[in-house]
Order: sequence, then C-alpha cells, then structure tokens
Amino acid sequence: MNTLSDINFALRTLIKNPKFTALTVFVMTTGLTLCIYMFSFIHGSLVAPLPFEKGDRIRAVDTIKSGMEYQGASVRVHDFEYLKERVQSYEVFSAYTVNTVNISTSDRALKFRGHYVQESFFEISDAKPLLGRLITNDDGLSGAEPVTVISHTIWQNMFAGDKNVLGKKLRINTEPTTIVGVMPDSYQFPSAGRIWLPYTTTAKGIARKNGRSVAVYGVLKPGISDEQANIELRGLMAELEETYPKLNSNTSAHAWTFQAAAMGSGTQIVILAMELSVGFILLLACINVGNLLFSRAIEKGKETAIRTALGAPRAKLVMQMMWESTLICIISGVLAVLFAGLWLELTNKGLLSSFPFEPPFWWHVQITQTSIIAAIVITLVTAFITGILPALKATSGDFNATLRDGTRGAQSKSSGRLSKGIVIAEVVLSCALLLLSTGMVYSVNQQNNIDYGTSVENIFTARVGLPEAEYKSDEKRLQYYQNLKATLISEPEISAVSFTQGLPGNDVPYRTISLEGVDYGSKPQYPSSSYVGVANNYFSVMAMNLREGRTFDSRDKIDSPLTAVVTDNFVNKFFKDGVALGKRFKFSDSDNAWYTVIGVVNDVIYGQPIPLNIEKPTAFLSLQQAPTRFVAVVIKTTANDAQDVTGLPEMVANITQKIERDAPAYDVKTLRSSIMARNAGMNFISELFIVFAAASMVLAFSGIYGVMSNTIIQKTQEIGIKRALGADNSDIYKHFIKQGLKQLVIGLCIGVPIGIMLVTMLEKASLAQGSLMIYVGVPAFISFVILLAVYYPVSRALKMEPCAALRHE
Amino acid sequence: MKTLIKLTNIKKVFSTDEVETHALSDINLEVKQGEYLSIAGPSGCGKSTLLSLLGLLDTSSSGSYTLDGHDVVDINAKQRAVIRNKEIGFIFQSFNLISELTVAENVALPLTYRKDLNKTERTDLVTAALEKVDMGHRTKHYPSQLSGGQQQRVAVARAIAGNPSIILADEPTGNLDSKNAELVMALLDKLHAEGATICMVTHDPRGAKRADRVIEIFDGRIVSDSPTSETYIEEAVA
Repeated sequence: MNTLSDINFALRTLIKNPKFTALTVFVMTTGLTLCIYMFSFIHGSLVAPLPFEKGDRIRAVDTIKSGMEYQGASVRVHDFEYLKERVQSYEVFSAYTVNTVNISTSDRALKFRGHYVQESFFEISDAKPLLGRLITNDDGLSGAEPVTVISHTIWQNMFAGDKNVLGKKLRINTEPTTIVGVMPDSYQFPSAGRIWLPYTTTAKGIARKNGRSVAVYGVLKPGISDEQANIELRGLMAELEETYPKLNSNTSAHAWTFQAAAMGSGTQIVILAMELSVGFILLLACINVGNLLFSRAIEKGKETAIRTALGAPRAKLVMQMMWESTLICIISGVLAVLFAGLWLELTNKGLLSSFPFEPPFWWHVQITQTSIIAAIVITLVTAFITGILPALKATSGDFNATLRDGTRGAQSKSSGRLSKGIVIAEVVLSCALLLLSTGMVYSVNQQNNIDYGTSVENIFTARVGLPEAEYKSDEKRLQYYQNLKATLISEPEISAVSFTQGLPGNDVPYRTISLEGVDYGSKPQYPSSSYVGVANNYFSVMAMNLREGRTFDSRDKIDSPLTAVVTDNFVNKFFKDGVALGKRFKFSDSDNAWYTVIGVVNDVIYGQPIPLNIEKPTAFLSLQQAPTRFVAVVIKTTANDAQDVTGLPEMVANITQKIERDAPAYDVKTLRSSIMARNAGMNFISELFIVFAAASMVLAFSGIYGVMSNTIIQKTQEIGIKRALGADNSDIYKHFIKQGLKQLVIGLCIGVPIGIMLVTMLEKASLAQGSLMIYVGVPAFISFVILLAVYYPVSRALKMEPCAALRHE
Repeated sequence: MKTLIKLTNIKKVFSTDEVETHALSDINLEVKQGEYLSIAGPSGCGKSTLLSLLGLLDTSSSGSYTLDGHDVVDINAKQRAVIRNKEIGFIFQSFNLISELTVAENVALPLTYRKDLNKTERTDLVTAALEKVDMGHRTKHYPSQLSGGQQQRVAVARAIAGNPSIILADEPTGNLDSKNAELVMALLDKLHAEGATICMVTHDPRGAKRADRVIEIFDGRIVSDSPTSETYIEEAVA
C-alpha cells in the first residue's frame, strides 16, 4: 500500500511538472534508444549466433598471406587435403567452393552464386530439405549424374513453386542438371546460398601450382579453444611453407567464426567503438537526468526536511525519490524500445539493401526477446543509477538547518564540487565521443571522395562469366570480347568499351611475386602485388596516365613474351633505382613465366580506399595474352555522368544474352554506384557515428547548460552580493567564464587524449582518420558550447536588479 | 555640512500582470555628510526598498536622486556599479559573505573590482579594515568557521574597506544575539564618530536610538522625520 502511494505521489509530481518530465524523458529516451538500437543491431547481425546445434563451434579456416587475411575460397586444395589428413582439433574438417553459375531456360538466363558442397556441409548446418534430398558425397564422384539442390527462391521464381520440380532439368553452366532437392526459405548457409551442387574439386592429378582455392570450414571438437586450433593450423601451415617454400611463401592460416569471417577482421574494433560510443551517450544521459533529479531534490529540500522532522525514515525518503527516476526510466525505456524498433525497421529496409552483398541469413536486425530483456535490464540499471545518488545526497543534509532556513541561496561546497565534477565528466565524454565520431566521419568522407586513379563518373560496368565448356580456348574468349565490344560500341550512348578482371574500388587478387635477379634464399619471403588483367585500350578508356614506356597493344599477343604495365607503387616498392622498364618478375606461387615491364602508369585503388590498399603495388597484365572467362566490361558513356544514361542496363543485358545465351551480363551498374556499394558498410557506420556525435552534443550541451544554469541559479544571491559591492556585468561574466574554463580545461585535458587514443585505435583498422583540424576543431567547438552554456544563464541572472538577486531564494 | 543624498518625489511601483503595488510614494529625503540616519517602520512598509534605491541596487519608478551632487537616476548599469563600488558600503542582515572565500578575500572583494588599486594597496586596505573591526587575526578563516557576530564584523570591514562616502546597513543586528548586536552597533558608532555617513534600517529601538535622526515609513511614505532624541523622548513620554 505504501509503495503504491509512493508511486502515485511520484506520478503526480511528474504530471505536475510537465516541462521537467518532458526534458528528463527526452534525455533518457535519447540515451536508451541509441543503446537498445545498438545492442539489437550488434546482437542481431555482427555477433548473432549461427542458428545450428553446433553453431558455436563452427569455424571458417582462411589463409593469411603476407599478413593479409583472406576469406572465402582462400586455401589451395592441396593445402586443404594436407590439413584434413592431420588436424586433430576438429570433428568435421571439410571444404566447399563457390562459383558464379549461369542458369538458363528457353527464355532467360540468370546468374547465381553456386556452392559446391559435401554432405558434411548440410550436416553441420542442420539442413533439412523442403522437398527431395540433400547433396551426398556420392554425387561428387566422377561419372555421377549432375544434380543440384535449389533454394526456395529459385523454386518460386523459376518453377512457380511446382511441387513436381524434383527430377526436372536445369541448364547450369550449359550442362543439364537434375534437381534433387529444394531447400526451405530459411536456409541460406553459408551466407546467401541459392543453389548447391556437388563438390568435385580435388588435388589428385593436378599440379600444385594449378590447384584451385577452396573455402574450408570445420567444427571444433568440444573443449578445443580457438587458440589451440590456431596453434595447430599455424604449425601445419609452417610445415607446408617449409616443404613448398616458393608456393607457400608467407602463407599461414587461421580459424575464425563465420560471423567474423563475413565481416572481416576490423569488426571487433568497430563493435568496440560502437559500444563505447553508446556507453558514453548513455552515461551522459544518466548524468544529465541524475543532475536534473538532484536539482529537483534540492528544490524540495524543505519538503524533505519537514518529512524528516515528522519522523520519516531515510530509507523511505530515498525510496520515494527513487520512484521518480524509476518512472522516468520506465517511460523512456518503453519509448526507446518503440523508437529503436522503428529505427531497426528503417535500417532493414534502407540500409541493408544498399549493401553489395546479401546479408548473412543469421542476421535478424530487429527487436528480439534478447533486446527486450536487455532493454529492461538497462532501464532498471539506469533508473537505479540516476535515482540513488541524488536521493542519498538530498537526504543526507542538515534538515534542522534547512528548516531554520539559515543557508538561503548558497550552494554548498559538496554540491559545488559535484556540479564541477559533472561538467568535467560531460566535457570528457562528449570530447572523446566527438573526436571518435568526427574521426570516423572524416575517414569515410575522405574515402568517398578519394581519387581512385581512373575515370569513375562516366563509366558503366557489367560482369560476364563465359561457360567453361564452350569457352575453353583463348581464341574463343578473345572472339567473344571482340564481338561484345563491336556490338556495344555501335550504340550511340556508348563511346568506348574495354575489359578488365577487376574494377577500381573492388577487390582484386594479391599474389607473391619474385623479381628477376633477386636471391630470396632457401626460405624465401616473397613480396606481393595485386594483379589485374586488362584489355589493350583499358588505360585510355579509364583515362589513366602513362608515366613511361607503353601500354598494351597488338605486339602483346598470346604467343609473344608476357608483358606487364605496373603502377608507381610497384616501381617505388620493388625497383629502388626507379628503373622499371625492361625488368622482369613472375608470380612465385604458380608458374614460371616471366613478365616484362613495358610501361608504368599511375596508381589505382582496388578494394576499399584504406591506406593498405592505397599503398598496394599493382601489375596490369594483358587480357590479350591471357583472356579469362570472367571479366568486367567497362563501358564509357557519351554522357559525363553514367547515371544520366537511361536504359543502359537493359540494353547491355540484352546484347550480352544475344551474343551468348549462357552468359548474361550481371551487376550492371555505374562504376560510382559499384564503389559506393563497396563502401556501404563504412558509410552506414559513419552515419551511425554522426547520430552519436549529434546525440552526444545535444546531451552534453543540455547537460552542461543545465548544470551551469543550476549553479548560477544557486549563486544568484552571490551575484547580487557582488553587484552590490560594485561588480559590473563584465566582472560577473569573467568570474563564471573563468570558473567554466577551469572545468573545460580539466575536461579537455582528459577527454582529448582519450579521443585521440580511440581514433588511433580505429586508425589502425583504417576505420577512422585523425587530423589536426579535428583535434583542434572539436575542443574549440566544445569550448564554444561551454561558453554559451555559461553565457546564457549568467545573462539571465544579470537581468535581475541586484536587490532582487539579493533576495533570491 | 554638504548634502550627500537628495531624494525628490521618489516613487517605486512593482507591477505584475494584474496588480500594481506602490512600495514607495513621494519620498523626499536629504542626508547630510556625516549624518547617522535610522530608517524605521513596520514590516513591508518599504524600508528595504528605500535602502535598495539609496544603494543603487534598484531603480525608482519616478523622481530624482542625486548622490554627492550627481544625478544617479539616468546613469547606466556600469556607472551604477562604479558608484556602488566606490561610494557605498553595504551591511546586510544575513551578512552575505561568500562561503567559498576566506575572510580576507571577502573583504577584498569590492576592491578587486577597482582598477585604480594594485595588489599591495588592496592588501593594506583589507588589513586596515579588518583591524578596525578587530578581526585581523582571522584573515584566513572561512565564514563557516566564524560566529554570527564575527561574520557581521567581517561584513562591516568589507563595507568600509574601500572608504565609501556612505554606509547602508539593512537590519545589521537582525541575525545576532544581544551581545553581538551590541558589538556591531558599537562598531557603527565608532565609524560614525570617525566621520562615516550611515543609513541604517532597523527594527531594534536600541539600535535606532544610536542614530542622529530617525525617519519612519508607513505604507511607503515617510510619516515622520526627526532627530532621534525627539523621537525617543516622545515615545518615552507617551
């Protein structure tokens, strides 16, 4: 009953003070919304568990070459088979491959990522087919009938959900293939699988240097830690490096979760930065609400003193005050769950669709049961934190003195210290958070506006993958290139056409090379370079600068000596004398063919524009000398901006299909949108951090303003005394600004190093970038905010006549 | 003796949206240099408002006010601050010392707003003022470490430190016991004897008797203005 009346009293108090209630609820809702959103996002995506029985023990095994972590199909099949025979840490150790597959019917052709898998693949992922059966190891044996298991999407889109689909044939990469199973809609392992085929890759009869790369996965034995598994892997890979020093130079491997592999090695740091940021924001919100409640408690000091005089026990008074914070936090918590839910919905709709890849199927970016539990816990903890300290402080004073009203208007030393401490804490938190956020936003902005070293705006791109059976010979592939180019160039919107294996801003292979005349010893540590096959006219179509020598031309034929055009980075890294023309190199891990450098061009950025990629050396190889089945078509438009050309994607798709029905163009888009999609993840994080920065500024400003305003209100009488003694307005401003500056300097002295440390930490993962502008601008901005927060309440106090200020209570 | 303060037809009206309160009406008052004036009257009659106007802590609604021959009605806030600082010393009922400052710092406070004094001069004036009120031995104490009487003596020192033309005291003994009240009043007597002009609002007849002249205010008007001797003889007779 008492509790009910306490709640009732707290509720009445909140209703009676709508402005106070609105302000505290706003502040707390802001903090809690960000916190719940971030919790739900991180736990629904980046660290979401694999929804399988052994999900917590499933690992991807990827290679590390020259310090770079690769993911997906990165292990040479020979290495995989060597590892499989020896690893002890896994109860399952297997592999799959991924290829783009063309599925064609009589009237259309579609491209999908096909997964070539073994039985264990389905076993570890708890797969149960909706119709038919799964792939078995027998399906992969030589001479077995070609079979496939299709996804629910393909079943619906291509067969309209026909229940008699089993046994029907699909033309996959020109080969008729029997459908033996349909997977349920929910099954998309390993990330966004659409079609599954038998695994046939083997090392048998294949020269090591020609061995394909496979994606390796395993299930750790119970009780085996990642560290143990990695020690074993490193040991076995070291043996391979020892045995095959040329092919396996600088090559190791590591096991990591599928979740980490899907997002890359920087994920943990991003998560840490996000968690720190929302933590800071929630702390700011708690400080602000706590401070507001404390101010209210001081205002109600007389009421508290009367209650104490009437015999109310302290615990009872504390509980009564706590209900106020509890109600504020509960209201805020409910609103925060609603807002966070809406925000997550928007994230799902808008942002995830802009990613260049389909989000892994285990991502569920939404309010879940776990989010609700977390929201309840966070809300209750914040209610306790924001309520208990003000309540204890407010009930610990001399109630007799309060009743006698002997200390009117004065701010006690301890509450003065508390106010100063709050301002310092707000400066520290907002400074660290703003530096971190601006560092990230600055970095992403730099990345979005970076010069990739080629034309970008007037370029359209498309990818084609020629079927292996039909395009085994180099001549046929070259013929295809010529046909496609001739057809496309006849279109009025197109001014030039070229081909490349990799587009700027997209990842390209990175391999170890050896330079002619350099002795790498018996345990060679070969350097690495990116390499990209390009057509003869690629450099002119992409408006690249030839530094010296020549680019590819008709002299670079299939049967003539191999040639390469290298970038400035390549020259600077490998030819200290600056002379590159005529020098030779070869790829140390595959063949013995030497490439002669015939020209040097400007650097081009492949992959995300992070320092590591910006500094990478690149060798361009002639597609004329080594035409590949998979290429990107580069289409230069007559318009300055490729986005202005309408109907081009459809036109390119039609033309490619007319030329080769089994090789429809896919990923038809402008180069700019391809680059933007590649940066979508970083842009998303950057946008989040803009929200963090804005929230922290709003909270810090309102908090500091609140504290300063409260301090100045409590010092109104002191202002009156000083004015009575002859202080003019400027003296009063100076006094408070000086006090504010002291707290500002202390706050900045702590906050700036923390912020710089956080930026540096993210800088190492290429997620943020510091600059003098940020390190000066952010503290300057906070100083400006503090000055405003001091100026306004002081000017308000100065509007009072000194005699009114003297009487102020 | 020259006229230090001259108020002519002073009115003070406090207005809210609905109510107009006439705190002071038709106040005409002259205070000579060296005079010791006591302002008496019941609670809410306008005594403190008058003292606020005299001390330039508030502005009148109409009327004229000359201080030491200078019109102080139409001057700006900065000029008013300069006059408060140099010409007026305040003593308040609740002492109004700043709790975060030491005794010496409190006394030095008005002097820190003056541009014409260097640090040594300020220190000398503070020391002299504290010696005068017999508080020279407590310079480093904080107000909370002093008794009420001691705090008011420090407040008196602060009021006289800058050698003002006039001392305005608002119920200076209101928060003190009789013994300490006597000490403070004796201090004011001493200052008066040394030539200080004092205007004091007080309820306490014992304090009022010490002044040369008493004005009584009722409902915002001066209802009597006479030498102290006459006022208290009449009261005694009555």
